[in-house]
Amino acid sequence: MNTVLSRANSLFAFSLSVMAALTFGCFITTAFKDRRVPVDIHVSRVMLKNVDDFTGPRERSDLGFITFDLSADIKPIFDWNVKQLFLYLSAEYTTKSNALNQVVLWDKIVLRGESTKLNLRDMKSKYFFFDDGNGLRANKNITLTLSWNVVPNAGILPLVMGSGHMSVPFPESYETTKSY
Amino acid sequence: MIEYFPLSFYSLCLSSKMINFANGLLAEQIFQGIILASAVIGFAYGLIIEQFGWTVYIVLGGFAVSCLLTLPPWPMYRQNPLSWQPALPETTGETLQKPQENLKKKKHK
Repeated sequence: MNTVLSRANSLFAFSLSVMAALTFGCFITTAFKDRRVPVDIHVSRVMLKNVDDFTGPRERSDLGFITFDLSADIKPIFDWNVKQLFLYLSAEYTTKSNALNQVVLWDKIVLRGESTKLNLRDMKSKYFFFDDGNGLRANKNITLTLSWNVVPNAGILPLVMGSGHMSVPFPESYETTKSY
Repeated sequence: MIEYFPLSFYSLCLSSKMINFANGLLAEQIFQGIILASAVIGFAYGLIIEQFGWTVYIVLGGFAVSCLLTLPPWPMYRQNPLSWQPALPETTGETLQKPQENLKKKKHK
């Protein structure tokens, strides 16, 4: 501790260690929190088409168009360790060729400080709902769920599914709109 | 340590830029105390208002305060000066330097 530089070195290293400990403390206070929130999803219209899918191995695939309503209050999830939430709406179903299919239809980033009451009506899907084949036609059960990825300031990024889902059957034929 | 450098080096230790060992400990205790106190206050405040940014700001403030208090060599750190031995006569100084020069010659082969 004789020179300014050695004191400065010691001071800076100590501050950094203390800061690391505080960050770990921030993580520990929110590590075991339950981040599920009730979610209400409603589907208003579904239309099905059979179109050229240039990304797949076959000539034509099923393409679905969904119009949905979404309402949820995500305020309880935010705390001092949450920087933003990445919400995404995914559709899950079974076909003859695949046991499980999951397609992301829509997503949104909610930063801390933005409005946390989600009340979306008549939303169109953001991404194409292509099937791996022709399994959407006359499918009995397609389940839509809202999930989110919590982006923290310090620690693990948990992937949480909201409690609340909606299952709809798809139309029997192409180019017809089914309303619910 | 006293054999590694020529004795004229130690006169620099008595210059205004350095403080002695016992008071260096005092400086270390002061800044550790300040930073720990600001860390505890900052953590509690951040937890209450739910913003981690404030915790960081308070710790940085504590860092700045302890920089100001411990980095410059204030007079309070020079309370107990060490009493250095009087300088040895020139002949022993030269014999101390000669083995160092021999070592340097051997290394630069």
